[in-house]
Amino acid sequence: MARVSFDQPAVLGALGAGGFLLAWEALSRSGLVSPIMLPAPSVVLQSGVALVQSGELVDHVLASLWRAALGFLAGASLGIALGVALARSPRLHGLLNPLVQTFRAIPSLAFVPLAIFWFGIGETSKIFLIAWGVFFPVWVNTFIGVRDVSPILARAGASLGATGWRMLAFVVLPGALPFIIAGLKISLSIAMVLLVAAELAGAVYGVGYLIQLSQQVFRVDQMFVGLATLGLMGFAADLAFDRAVRWLFPWICARAGDARRDAALRRERRRVGAWTQESFTP
Amino acid sequence: MSAASSAAVIERPTPSAAAQDLPASALIRCEAVGHVYRSTLGDETQALASVSLAVADGEFLCLLGPSGCGKTTLLNMIAGFVTPTSGRIVVGGRSVEGPSPDRGLVFQDYSLFPWLTVAGNVAFGPRMAGQSAANRKTLTAELLELVGLGAAADRYPSELSGGMQQRVAIARALATDPAVLLMDEPFAALDAMTRGALQRQLLEIHERKRKTIVFVTHNIAEAIALGTRIVVLTPHPGRIAEDIRVDLPRPRRRTSNGFNTLYERLAAAIGVDMAD
Repeated sequence: MARVSFDQPAVLGALGAGGFLLAWEALSRSGLVSPIMLPAPSVVLQSGVALVQSGELVDHVLASLWRAALGFLAGASLGIALGVALARSPRLHGLLNPLVQTFRAIPSLAFVPLAIFWFGIGETSKIFLIAWGVFFPVWVNTFIGVRDVSPILARAGASLGATGWRMLAFVVLPGALPFIIAGLKISLSIAMVLLVAAELAGAVYGVGYLIQLSQQVFRVDQMFVGLATLGLMGFAADLAFDRAVRWLFPWICARAGDARRDAALRRERRRVGAWTQESFTP
Repeated sequence: MSAASSAAVIERPTPSAAAQDLPASALIRCEAVGHVYRSTLGDETQALASVSLAVADGEFLCLLGPSGCGKTTLLNMIAGFVTPTSGRIVVGGRSVEGPSPDRGLVFQDYSLFPWLTVAGNVAFGPRMAGQSAANRKTLTAELLELVGLGAAADRYPSELSGGMQQRVAIARALATDPAVLLMDEPFAALDAMTRGALQRQLLEIHERKRKTIVFVTHNIAEAIALGTRIVVLTPHPGRIAEDIRVDLPRPRRRTSNGFNTLYERLAAAIGVDMAD
């Protein structure tokens, strides 16, 4: 019995994390490495608490989140708009696609110096960079989703009287939504990368700036606080995104669970025979 | 052929390609329609030769034939998705130029909008037509009751079995109150038991709503169970081989003489080996 619970994923995960932190703490206290270079987790935690109490960390987090949100919104809106437009108009696609593909091939991080040269180290350069990075995955996914919308659904819509913008709004866009959402989710982590890169290059507030500043004043403990904060922010953003999708579009999750549901249904049918065919699935 | 079967099955005049012979009063008139597919290499395949067919109001017409006989092409032309390369199709006195809510469609499967609930799917057509929310609600409830899915109104299609999904698809197609219901092998993906249940339900709907139905199938028994008339299409190129009115009493039992005689005749027309 004890052996079984020991093998639970949660138990194993906690053991791994706890072991890692303990080893780190021991290494840092052992004198084998400089505690300045590698501060113990307990020291990092204390610095974190101090930064929270002084209100400093909250300001950094809010500054970063605000930039990330604005850049994400701008890039995602443009990506969706252009993705739809290019998928619906072959002429526009022919005109713009080579251009967009070329820009897409350049790693977004390479634009950091240019963005700072153009827009300075203020908010504009950061929002521009995040929007730039977010734009491409959203655009590609929207384009594919709209272009490859199920012909049967389009026919069903047409036979029920959906034409013109109604077809776009009530059939094509909802049909492309799973693709668009996948693009948005990829963009979320890209936004975090570009946020930090832009903040490292210069800022007055922001978690990336906190890390940069701490390095200049030899506060490795605070650098670790910044790193942990970024990890938590990314994790929270991902979780919030998934929750929002599940709440706004419950059918997408229902569909993602199809494979599992079908397997369960098949097992169930084998057990009770074909009569369950017409019953609700759990 | 026995006396019993000839009483049950009344033959129509020999199928004719002449469009001018079609009765003007027919709800659907396919006037010498043909369709030629052109591949990207320029090869031409004649999917449908000059087919003339008139469907009367209230008829339950089964288009029966093997794959590649052009039955789905013909249905898609009546629906307005495919333009005939020759001839024309007239429904309700008007030439078919494209899809219209006046011709309801039920596809083989996966045609429900996964982002809408069952009720949302059924209300889609009326919503496009600008009907009020109150009207849509009443109509949706009524149609879901008709297909026996009143309790599933708030479910999403992915939560339903294949048979339930097709019942929703039928309710959705009926919601625009079309003159014609076009069905493209709607029960082909279902298991035999579910198919039988849905066939009975469709007959009931046909009885109650008095809709004209054009039903494509490659299943001989299904065509006999459902149709008031069966048109057999044969391939290369698609043309009408048989046009039979079915007057067998309902319910049509598979074990009855009439059923089996007709089955053999249809199988012979299609070219199916009876040892099957």
